[in-house]
Amino acid sequence: MRFDTVIIGGGLAGLICGIRLAKQGERCAIISLGHSALHFSSGSLELLGALPDGSTVVSPADALDALRQMAPEHPYARYSRERFLALAAEGATLMQEAGVATFGSAEQNHYRLTPVGAMKPAWLTFEGYVHSPNADSLPWKNVALFNAEGFLDFYAQFLKDEMLRMGTKCAAYTFNLPELEQIRQNPTEMRSANIARIFDKRETLDKLADIIAAKMDDAEAILLPAVLGVDCKDGVRYLEQKLGRKVAVIATLPPSVPGLQVQTLLRRYFQELGGVYMLGDTAVGYKSEGNKITAVYTRNHGDIPFLATNYVLATGSFFSGGLEATNDRICEPLFGADVQYVADRGEWYDRDLFKPQAYESFGVKTDELLRAMRQGQVIDNLYVAGATLPGFNAVKEGCGAGVSILTALDVAERILSKK
Amino acid sequence: MTKQADVIIIGGGATGAGVARDCALRGIKALLLERGDIATGATGRNHGLLHSGARYAVTDRESAEECIKENMILRRIASHCVEETDGLFLSLPEDGLEFQAKFIEACRAAGIRADAIDPKEALRLEPSANPAMIGAVRVPDGAVDPFRLTMANLIDAKAHGAEVLTYHKVTELIREQDRIVGVKAVDCRSGEKKEFRAEIVVNAGGIWGHDLAAMAGVTVKMLPAKGSLLIFGHRVNNIVLNRCRKPADADILVPGDTISLIGTTSSKVPFDEVDNMYVTADEVDLLLREGTKLAPSLAHTRILRAYAGVRPLVASDDDPSGRSVSRGIVVLDHATRDGLEGFITITGGKLMTYRLMAEWTVDLICKKLNINKKCTTAECKLPGSREKEEKISKRLHSVPVAQRESAINRHGEMAERLDVGDAAARSLVCECEEVSVGEVKYALNELDVHNLVDLRRRTRVGMGTCQGELCACRAAGIMAEAGKYCSHQAKQDLVSFLNERWKGMAPVAWGDTLRESEFTMWLYDGVCGLKNEKTE
Repeated sequence: MRFDTVIIGGGLAGLICGIRLAKQGERCAIISLGHSALHFSSGSLELLGALPDGSTVVSPADALDALRQMAPEHPYARYSRERFLALAAEGATLMQEAGVATFGSAEQNHYRLTPVGAMKPAWLTFEGYVHSPNADSLPWKNVALFNAEGFLDFYAQFLKDEMLRMGTKCAAYTFNLPELEQIRQNPTEMRSANIARIFDKRETLDKLADIIAAKMDDAEAILLPAVLGVDCKDGVRYLEQKLGRKVAVIATLPPSVPGLQVQTLLRRYFQELGGVYMLGDTAVGYKSEGNKITAVYTRNHGDIPFLATNYVLATGSFFSGGLEATNDRICEPLFGADVQYVADRGEWYDRDLFKPQAYESFGVKTDELLRAMRQGQVIDNLYVAGATLPGFNAVKEGCGAGVSILTALDVAERILSKK
Repeated sequence: MTKQADVIIIGGGATGAGVARDCALRGIKALLLERGDIATGATGRNHGLLHSGARYAVTDRESAEECIKENMILRRIASHCVEETDGLFLSLPEDGLEFQAKFIEACRAAGIRADAIDPKEALRLEPSANPAMIGAVRVPDGAVDPFRLTMANLIDAKAHGAEVLTYHKVTELIREQDRIVGVKAVDCRSGEKKEFRAEIVVNAGGIWGHDLAAMAGVTVKMLPAKGSLLIFGHRVNNIVLNRCRKPADADILVPGDTISLIGTTSSKVPFDEVDNMYVTADEVDLLLREGTKLAPSLAHTRILRAYAGVRPLVASDDDPSGRSVSRGIVVLDHATRDGLEGFITITGGKLMTYRLMAEWTVDLICKKLNINKKCTTAECKLPGSREKEEKISKRLHSVPVAQRESAINRHGEMAERLDVGDAAARSLVCECEEVSVGEVKYALNELDVHNLVDLRRRTRVGMGTCQGELCACRAAGIMAEAGKYCSHQAKQDLVSFLNERWKGMAPVAWGDTLRESEFTMWLYDGVCGLKNEKTE
């Protein structure tokens, strides 16, 4: 199989890179196991929420200089303010084109409400999710919160208490439906995606609307866990029309319904553009000549090679398998690319899980053009995007999605400019 | 406030719990004070090995005899805490066979069944064993769940009139002339100061008994010895594997529930470290290196966590230097030893002999109180072990099979007390360990649960391969809804729980363990935005 570019990894970075390339008529393949960090998406994408010293970022664009000083190896450090904003804008546009409606800007963070009631900085929040311009208040004074009875991955009590602290009165209710009773018969089934599926049917949403209407009283907004449909994506809008009230959803614990939806929309868009998405497959080997990769082999395709002019490594970090740790080293398992890390295992971790963990900033070494290094040499046609890159802490700096999207677009442009 | 009891027991490990139960069964009003949760010291931090005594047969005949007797008793009275796995003592080429002959002879002399079997037969019985072995001896080792055992003792003690107060730290022993008459304690959760009075105070504080004795003005010289262990992600072996040689580091591999455990290392530690021990990279490497000699597949098995306990070794009274250490049971009547009435220290021994330690202690208490009642703990079955599993299983037929088996395994016939009547109650909080909402609520209502770690000890929430990824948050939500604490406390409790899990994971955080940890961090720090307020 011959392609212009083969992308290994079908998460946010792989998909965005593939979409960008396919839009320019490149023949692309994405090899993906199907799992990615999108599966625990929060309902927002973050660009830069905090600096490495812990200080909060109000405007990601304005914070770039400070970030560059504190973390010269951060993937963003290579971008000027203009370039950073251009890449971010392009990312937002691609999302819109793929059908992911979002709110937000790279010049000014807003805040999302987390499943336990905290407020965290966000760049793009998916349509229908609770967000606020302020870190310490919500746009309403009086809301009603409805959770599915027995759904354990959503924390009404936490949310209620935190909202009250922010000056929003919250009445909490649970709802039950015959469709939920069926799910409940199996003890492991009361999870977000299963609940969301029952709301793919309009009649179930109608029943929910009746329950809410009977209890909502004078609430300005109706809040719900993000389970209002998987295939059907306008559940929030539909309820708003039926109820005549503002309706908004809050992320749950994984699996993340918005994450699954975004992944599907991006994949569909990529395929519409002519991209080939190899779902459930994984790269297991490669061939190289000199400083070039000439073929990649996958588990499902055996000795049929994936041949391409360029390759993109977007395999994520440890969780997704892009990096592998043993008790004495960290490696990149597919190409054996050089990994930037600290040798002493004792230094990989902090004893407090909630402090920055050094291993989070380990990643594959690249040159300025984001090409991977191996044994100190640049591999000419292997680019790295997203969480596989070193030099940043996605959680502490709130920049995971941003790094994935911006570096994916950057890589795509570099590949296109080689033509 | 002042409360009165016949006996105050300080320490909620297996020994303290055993003393409380024994007192209660003999009609003595007992009050047990524990500074944290039950079974958090050496009791909860060992192999969970139901020793046959074979390990001590060559070096310590007395301990070996005590072990095999108690082993047989526990199989009877604590069947829901015990797994009858049997054990193998493997001789590897580097060990030679010389020790084996001596070993078998010593076992038999101590009353321990010990049968030499063909290495091929041993490998058939336990396919994970090192095929390079040159000899194998089968002995009646087993596995015991120390937490369940302690809990069952306390449930029975309470059923017979004892009172148990966890999170009560003793701050002072009240002394009147040459007599201890009670204790002052602080309720660690509310900060309230309390006073308790009794005829006799029993020091069952394990390694912390050293300080308790000092509070009473007497000296019990203890030597903290750290022992580190590793937990593997699945059950590697079904039979306990030992090395047939003089006891050494990392030479016991014990199966327990869904996991296997290798241990231990042994090193002296200073007293200021006993409250917070970390397993070092060297210890992990040593345990792995030696462990793979017992079962080579350990080299490729995921390690879930590493943890360490402190053995409360007691220096012999006639050797104040501490070089001569006793591993046997030590009951100190401070009246005869130090001229201090009303104070008894029970220490030394081992988990295996907790019941016997309690018996000796309560015999002494009876003597002091002029009570003429015989110990019955060797005959009376513990709650949870009083009915056959099949019988309980039949009565709980409406509960899904995996959930039912897990609940009965953990609680024996007390599983019937779980509220699993409707589908919502049967909904799973923890998929790895099959813990239902109903089981969580039972623990919250009846088993003295004050935080998520307490809950974990009683239900195994968060002890599976994911180490509390999703179940921790679910359980915190249920606790907050049950009014156990406010949502702010619930979140900080969640932070503490996740950090307690991380403490065990960090020393072995590579491979899949690192992947899980990264996911946990993304989820709780990233998605949820939880913060550790203690450090901010």
